[in-house]
Amino acid sequence: MTVGIVDSGVEADHPALRGRLIESVAVELRDGEPELVPDDGTDLFGHGTACAGIVVGMAPEVEIVSVRVLGSDLKGKGAAFAVGLDHMIERPVNVANLSLSSKSEAMMPVFYDLADQAYFKRVMLVSAVNNVVGPSYPSLFSSVFSVAAHSEPDPWRFYYNPNPPVEFGAWGMDVPVAWRGGGQTVGTGNSFAAPHITALVALILSKHPGLTPFEMKAVLAAIADNERPA
Amino acid sequence: MPPLDDTAAASDDLRTGLLALQEVARRAAAAGRFQVHAEERLLQLIVDATASLFGAEAASIALFERDPDRLEFRVAGGEQGSDVVGMSVAPTEGIVGYVFSTGESVALSDIASDPRFDRQVAERTGYVPRSVAAVPLVTDEQVVGVLQALDKHSGETFSVRDMELLATFAAQAGAAISGTRVQHDLPLLLASAMRELVPDMTDDQVRALVSTATNGLDADAATPFWALVDQVSRLRDLGEEELDLVGDMLGVVATHQSHRGRFGRR
Repeated sequence: MTVGIVDSGVEADHPALRGRLIESVAVELRDGEPELVPDDGTDLFGHGTACAGIVVGMAPEVEIVSVRVLGSDLKGKGAAFAVGLDHMIERPVNVANLSLSSKSEAMMPVFYDLADQAYFKRVMLVSAVNNVVGPSYPSLFSSVFSVAAHSEPDPWRFYYNPNPPVEFGAWGMDVPVAWRGGGQTVGTGNSFAAPHITALVALILSKHPGLTPFEMKAVLAAIADNERPA
Repeated sequence: MPPLDDTAAASDDLRTGLLALQEVARRAAAAGRFQVHAEERLLQLIVDATASLFGAEAASIALFERDPDRLEFRVAGGEQGSDVVGMSVAPTEGIVGYVFSTGESVALSDIASDPRFDRQVAERTGYVPRSVAAVPLVTDEQVVGVLQALDKHSGETFSVRDMELLATFAAQAGAAISGTRVQHDLPLLLASAMRELVPDMTDDQVRALVSTATNGLDADAATPFWALVDQVSRLRDLGEEELDLVGDMLGVVATHQSHRGRFGRR
């Protein structure tokens, strides 16, 4: 199973990654246009490494593909994110973890199209819900697995929310995570919840590789830890 | 200023548009004079409230500024907050940079025990926290800065609920900023208006127009007119009687001017 991490990069030699990073690219702006370039497996902030570490911790056999979409040039951030996401769909990876989103209404049709492409190619997009009021793409689209945080310290415990747009809840408070420079920290936020669902999806897919995104959601809803009326 | 192409320069519509832009720029600059410190005052209220609500050692707001790109700490509250004001970090640094770049809210704890990452940024700001919660400030679909809270007095880490509350405070700050930032972001505002109005205009043409419209605003700053605007902005705290008096005096000047216009200089 390949898991894409669309984030700040992933630190290749971080012990938490256990050597599972197989590919690393970055989106850089060249003459104002976002372009895919090779990356040497570094992480600008530590956040991408944290997400990848959570996934590898729960699903040790996955192969991690990183696309760094955050860089020093902040113009065209939404466009860089879209190019990174497109790369994950075209490659394709089996699951992509998106702990970021775009607030730009102008970018909405682009992400809408990408989310559809992912859905039809059976690339599962797992996105952290943004808790800031206002538009947030692609986490608000129905084909995406949108995840918010719960505070129970159990990586395997997750909830299904029958009242979307937020569909799943996973551990996202005081989560021990890998960080930049081979380090560790303790993180809180929806962006640390999403990788738990990403890992679960990868594990289920490895056992049942033919599942489509909607089937995967049905499976997750059925095995979620909350009791639901029959 | 990059030259406008001949067709564009010759167009009457564009000339009319440019005059309108200049007028907008001039009025916005005048409005900016009246609103000096208004943004700071609102933001200060928000960080003070944040520090007190969370029982935090410090709360601060960093706003994105260009040339060079940086996140500048504009206001701070709480016992450990004051040293950070005026300092800047690169938008690619630390938790503040991450939250600004992604628009995602994040809290980290156990920072002080690890010397390798955000501690370096924190050390420059004079106070190394154990835990930090940071949320983006959003105005009109754009992240313009970050609100952060450091270390609860109780020693607890920031919870998911805290992050939601912090986001509510950030929404207030975002509204305050978009209400007072017209002058500050004037060139950006004009450029986006031009792109909206004339979608097929090139970036160079937009830049040229905006530069023409805003040219001279800074040079104008020392003229008697702007000095008067400054004086008027200081009158806001006067009582009703004094304001009546100022109004009467301005009336006399205006009458004098209209007589001079009618009969020529005496």
